[in-house]
Amino acid sequence: MAKSTIYAGLEIGTHKICVVVGEAKRDGAIKILGVGQAPSRGVRKGEIVDFEKVQTCVNDALVRAEDRSDVMIRNVFLGVTGAHIESLNNRGRHRLPDEQTEIGEDDVEEAKEIARSVSIPQSNVFLHSVTRQYIVDGQEAVRQPIGREGRVLEADYHIIHGVRGRVQNAIRCVREIPLEVEDVVFNPVAAAQVVLTREAKMQGALMIDFGAGTCDYVLYEDGMITASGCVPLGGDHITNDVSMALQIPNGRAERLKVEEGSVLYDEVPDGEMLSIEDDTGLILGEIERAFLNEVMNLRTKEILTQVRVRVEDHLGRLGAGIYLTGGVSMMKGVDVVAREVFGIKVTRAGSAPVSGITATFENPQYSAPIGLIRYAQILDSEKPFLSPLKRLGRRMQELLSSVTL
Amino acid sequence: MVEYDRSQSPEGASTAAPRICIVGVGGAGSNVIDRITLDRIVDATLVCAHTDVRVLGHSMAPVKIQLGAELMKGIGAGGDPDLGREAALFSRDQIRQAIENHDIIFICAGLGGGTGSGAAPVIAEIAKNTGALVLVVATMPFSFEGRRRLAQAEEALELLQKRADALVLFENNRMGELILPKDGIQKAFNQADQLIAQSLRAISTITITPGLVKLGLDDLTSALANANGRCLFGFGEARGQNRGTEALKKALKSPLIDSGRLLHQTKSLLVHVAGGESLTLVEVEGVMKQLGRHVPDQTHILFGLGVDAKLGDAVAVTLISSLGLNQLNAHATAAPPSEMLQPRAEVPTPAPAPAPKREIPAKKAPSPYAPPVESPPDLLFKSEEFASVPAAGDAFPLNSLQAEAAKVQPVEPPVTHVEEPAVFEAFDTFEEPAPPVIASTPETARIPVRTPAAKELADAARSNSSKESTLAAVVARSVTLQTEAAPAQDDLISFDEPESTTISATAVLTRKTTAESQQTFSLGEEDRGRFKDTEPSIVQGEDLDVPTWMRLKKKLRR
Repeated sequence: MAKSTIYAGLEIGTHKICVVVGEAKRDGAIKILGVGQAPSRGVRKGEIVDFEKVQTCVNDALVRAEDRSDVMIRNVFLGVTGAHIESLNNRGRHRLPDEQTEIGEDDVEEAKEIARSVSIPQSNVFLHSVTRQYIVDGQEAVRQPIGREGRVLEADYHIIHGVRGRVQNAIRCVREIPLEVEDVVFNPVAAAQVVLTREAKMQGALMIDFGAGTCDYVLYEDGMITASGCVPLGGDHITNDVSMALQIPNGRAERLKVEEGSVLYDEVPDGEMLSIEDDTGLILGEIERAFLNEVMNLRTKEILTQVRVRVEDHLGRLGAGIYLTGGVSMMKGVDVVAREVFGIKVTRAGSAPVSGITATFENPQYSAPIGLIRYAQILDSEKPFLSPLKRLGRRMQELLSSVTL
Repeated sequence: MVEYDRSQSPEGASTAAPRICIVGVGGAGSNVIDRITLDRIVDATLVCAHTDVRVLGHSMAPVKIQLGAELMKGIGAGGDPDLGREAALFSRDQIRQAIENHDIIFICAGLGGGTGSGAAPVIAEIAKNTGALVLVVATMPFSFEGRRRLAQAEEALELLQKRADALVLFENNRMGELILPKDGIQKAFNQADQLIAQSLRAISTITITPGLVKLGLDDLTSALANANGRCLFGFGEARGQNRGTEALKKALKSPLIDSGRLLHQTKSLLVHVAGGESLTLVEVEGVMKQLGRHVPDQTHILFGLGVDAKLGDAVAVTLISSLGLNQLNAHATAAPPSEMLQPRAEVPTPAPAPAPKREIPAKKAPSPYAPPVESPPDLLFKSEEFASVPAAGDAFPLNSLQAEAAKVQPVEPPVTHVEEPAVFEAFDTFEEPAPPVIASTPETARIPVRTPAAKELADAARSNSSKESTLAAVVARSVTLQTEAAPAQDDLISFDEPESTTISATAVLTRKTTAESQQTFSLGEEDRGRFKDTEPSIVQGEDLDVPTWMRLKKKLRR
C-alpha cells in the first residue's frame, strides 16, 4: 500500500465551485497540494439547476486545480447540500441469543442493521449513517462493544438522507465531465471534520456553514454527531434583500454587501451616507449606511433563527459554543448577531491547520472542500481490510450497477 | 325539431333519488362517518355503530347504534371479533330498523379489531336481507399491528366477500408508507379517512347518477375483481383552463395510485369523467389519451361519462382499480440500484399471512338469540328471524330512529355532551385563517411603516430604543411627506390607495411599497426577486425567499 494517498474534493457551491487536491499521509496529516476555483453559475440554493453551465464551471475549476497541484484528477469526493437533505437519530436494539453472553461482531452488525432500517420517504436515499454510540445493557457511550459481556446491545445512529433524484442529478452532472464520484458527502459533515477539533466535539459544538445558497449545520454532543441539516437560506438572500430594498441590480448589491455591508447598525453614526457608483464610477445616488446594515441585519438574524429553531433542543449542552464558517461568516458583525440569536459563545473559524498553501485554509470559504479531503481520509482508515478477491467482487458490482444506471 | 332531453330519460327517472345509507362500524368506521358528516359530501343517512359507548358519544353521526348494550355494557370489543359479532347479533333489530328502506347501503369498517371485523359481516348480512345493494369499504390493518389482527381481518374479509355486492379494500400499510414520515400521525389518519370518504362519494355518484355512458355496479365489481386485491383509488376535480388534464393529474396524485405507476400492472380500470353542461368531447378525449400513457394496452378500461349540473364548470375524474397484494408489495420495495448510495432499507412488509380457514360457525355463539345453523352454512343467522321484528318500513321513520338512538345516550357519561360542540368548534377554527399577529416589540417597529397608526408605533419605538433607528427615521420622513399629500385618514384601506405615492427623500423603498399596497397578496405571488423561479422555502406559512424587511413590514401593517 502506498505511503500516502491523494484525494480530490469537489464542492459545487452556489457562489463558487471549488476543487481541492490534498495528500493524506499515513500519520493522519493532510497536505493541500492545490486548489482550483471558479465562480459558479447555474446553482441555486445549493442545488444544480443548469447542468451545462455548472459543467463548464466545474471544468474551469478542475483545470486550475490540476495545474496547481500537478495531479491528474479522476476521482472526486462530491459535497452536496440542499433543502431536501434531512437527518434523524435512530436506535436499534438487539437482544443476544440466550446461550451467548459475549457480544460478537455479528451482534453489532445486527444492531446496526436494525438501527438503519428506519423508514424514510420512498423517494429518498441514505447519504450517511453514522454510528453515534453503542449502549450495552443500558450503559451509554460505549465505543467498542465487541468482546463485552452483555445481554442487550443497542446501536445509536445518526442518519442523513436526501431525495434520490436530486442527489443523483449532482452525481450525473459530475460524471459527464467526466469525473468518477467516489462518494457523496453532505457538506457540513465534511466541513465539521476540519473546523471542529476533537475537544470541541467532546464539549459540544454547533458548526454553521453559512454559504451563499444555504446555511448548513452540524451539531456535536459528547463527541457524537447529534443533529445536522440545511436551511435553504444564505448569503444570496442577503444580497437579494439589499438589491430589492435599494433598487439596485444584484451584482452591485453583492459588491456593496461585501465591501461596505455590515450587520451592525447600532454603532453607525446617524446620517452617515454611502454613495452607490455604477460601473463607470459615476455616482448614482446615496443611501444611508444604517439602512443598508439594517436590511442585512434583519435577514441574517432570520437565517440564524431558522437554524436555532432546528437545533433548539440541544443548545443547552454546547460547551464549545458555535463555530461559524463559510463565506458569509466573513461578513462584518455576523458573530455578534449570532451571539445575540443563540446566546452562547461564537467563534469564526476556518479549517484547522493543515500544511500546504496557507492562504487557503485560513479562509472559511474553503472549510467544506478541505473537509472533503479529511473525510476521505477518515473513511479510508475506517474501511475494513478487504481481501483481493472481495475487492474484485466489489469492483464487478460497481461495474454492473453503473451499466444499469 | 324537438330535442330529446336525455336528462329525463326513463332510466334517469327511475333512479331519481336513490336512498343511500352509510354505516360506520367500529372505531375506524365512526371516524369515516365523522369525516363525511363534517364535509357533508354525500347526501345519505349516516349511521354509526359501535360497541364502545364513549366512541359513540364523540361521534357526530345523526343515528347512533350501541351494539350489544346489555352484553357489552358499553365497553368495546377489545379486539375480539367473536365479541363484536355477538354484540351485533344482539342489536340486529336496531340495526335493521336503522338501515331499512335504503337502496344502497355502504358499510365502512376497519378490519382487524373487534367491532369492525366482528360486527361488519353481520351488518352486511342484515343489509343484504333488506334487499339493498351492499357495498363494503374496509381498511386492512397496519403491519405493525401484528399477525393476529391481520388474520382476524382476513377472516372477516372472507365473510364480507360473500355478503357484499362490492368490496373496496384499502391497505393501511400503503397509505402509511406514502405519507411523509414527518407528518403528524393525526394528519396521516385524517388523510386516510378523507380518502375513504372521497371514494364513498365517488362510488355513489358513479353508480347512481344517470350518465351518457353509464357505469353500473357490474363495472365496479369487475374493476375491483382481483384475488386478494387492494383498491387503487384516485379522484380529482378541477375547473378553469385545462380542467380535464388538471383533474386527471389530481386523480393520479392520489397516494394509492403512486402517481400512476401502479396502474401499469392493473388488468382493468374504471374511469369516470363527470362534468357540467359545458363538458366537451375534446376534453374527454384529452383525458383518456393522457390516461392511456399510464395504462398498458391490454388493460380493460371501463369508461363512464356523466353530466352532472351540480358540478358547474368543474370536471371530475375518478379512477378505480385493484391490484393484488403481492404485486403491490413487490412494487413498493422495488428500488433502482444505485452505485454508491446505500440502497434504501427495505420497509418490513409482512408476508401475507396464511388466513386460517376457520369458519365461524354460528352455533358456537352462546347468544340465546343465535339460531342453530341449518341451511346456508355461511349465514351468520337465519334470515327468517326478521319475521319476528315488530314492523318494518313506514312504521319506523327516521325521526323515531333518532329518538331511539337518543335513548341510548343516557348511558353515556355526561362528559361527552360537553365535548361534542367542542369538536365542532375546533373544526370551525381550523377553517378560519389564523388572525394576523401584530408585532409591537421595539425591534420589529423599526421596519418601514407608512400608516399613521404605524407611525405612532415607530415613534414610540424610537423613544423606547436606546438608539434612534435610522430606518424608522427614513420611513417617518416619507410618512410625513405622504400625510401632507393626502389628508390623514383613520381608515387604513383608503390610505392605501395607489395615489398616495411615497416621496421619499432617499428614494428608498418607494416603488415596491406602492406596488404592494394596491392589492392583497396571496402566497407565491410575492416579490421574491432573483428567487422567483426557485422552489419556495416556506416555514410556518411564510415564504422566506421574500425579503425579510418586506415581510415584517406587512405583518406590522395588518
